[in-house]
Amino acid sequence: MTDKDQLPALKAGNKTQFSILVRDHHHALVALAIPIVGFSEAEEVVQIAWIKAYKAIASFEGKSKIRTWLSRIVINEAKMQLRARKKETLFSDLAGDGSDSDALADRFTQTGHWATPPATWHYDSPEALLMSDDLAQCLDRILTAMPNNQRAILEMRDSSELPFGEICNNLSISASNARVLLHRARAHLFKLVDHYQETGEC
Amino acid sequence: MLKCREVVDEADQFLSDDLPRHRQWRFRFHLLICKHCSRYVHQFQALKDATSFMHRKASDEEISRIMDSIDD
Ligand SMILES: [Zn+2]
Repeated sequence: MTDKDQLPALKAGNKTQFSILVRDHHHALVALAIPIVGFSEAEEVVQIAWIKAYKAIASFEGKSKIRTWLSRIVINEAKMQLRARKKETLFSDLAGDGSDSDALADRFTQTGHWATPPATWHYDSPEALLMSDDLAQCLDRILTAMPNNQRAILEMRDSSELPFGEICNNLSISASNARVLLHRARAHLFKLVDHYQETGEC
Repeated sequence: MLKCREVVDEADQFLSDDLPRHRQWRFRFHLLICKHCSRYVHQFQALKDATSFMHRKASDEEISRIMDSIDD
C-alpha cells in the first residue's frame, strides 16, 4: 500500500491503520535513533516519537514520504534527549579519523580497472534484493559493525530519505565529508550483496 | 578517459544528477564502452532503492507495546 492510500485513514486517527505504520517503520526508526542516542535509549526515544506522531498526523500534509516525516520526529526527539543529558554534539565519534578504507578498494587494479568486476545480481524488485533471511542476518551484522557516522548517514539518506542538506545540518558536517561517509557505507553494503549474490553466503 | 575506479566514486553523484555537465558526459561515455561499470551502476541503483526495505517488519508484540503507549 502506498503512502497516499494510507493517509486519509491515518489523518482520521484510525488506529488499525496506524499500527500498520508501526509495523512497517518501527525498526527503521530505531535504527535511525541508535547512532544518535545509543542502543539503550533508542527504543524509548522512538516510543515517545510514535506518541507524538500519532498526535501530529492529522496535520501531516503528505509533502514527503511518511517514513521521512516520522524520521524527522525521531531525530528531534533524539536531539531533545541529548540536550536533556547535556550532551553537546550528536555523535561522539562523528569526526572519525578516516582510517576506515573503501570496502571496494581491493576490487581494482593499480591502474583503476576492475580486477574483480561485480557479479550479475538476480532479483525481481528492490524489495526482493534484500529480502532473504540469510542476507538479512548478514546485513544486521555489517550494519552493527559499521562506524556510527557512516551508519547514521546511511539510515538518514537511504532509509529515511532525508534531503542531503538536512543531513549535513543534523550532523553538523560538510557536504564533502558526508559524501565520503555515505560512499563508504554503501560500498560496504555493495560488497556484501555482491558476495552474497555470487556465493549464496556472506 | 575516466577510470573504472572513478566511475565507482562518482556513481552516487551521477545518479543524483549532481555531476557537472562535462563529467556527466565522460561518465555516460564510459558506461557505453564498459560493461562492468554499466552493471555496477545499475546494481548500485537497485541497492540504493532497496535500502529502505532492509529493516524487518515489527513483531506483533512490538506493535502492541507502541499502540498501548498511544492509548494512555
Ligand atoms: Zn569501467
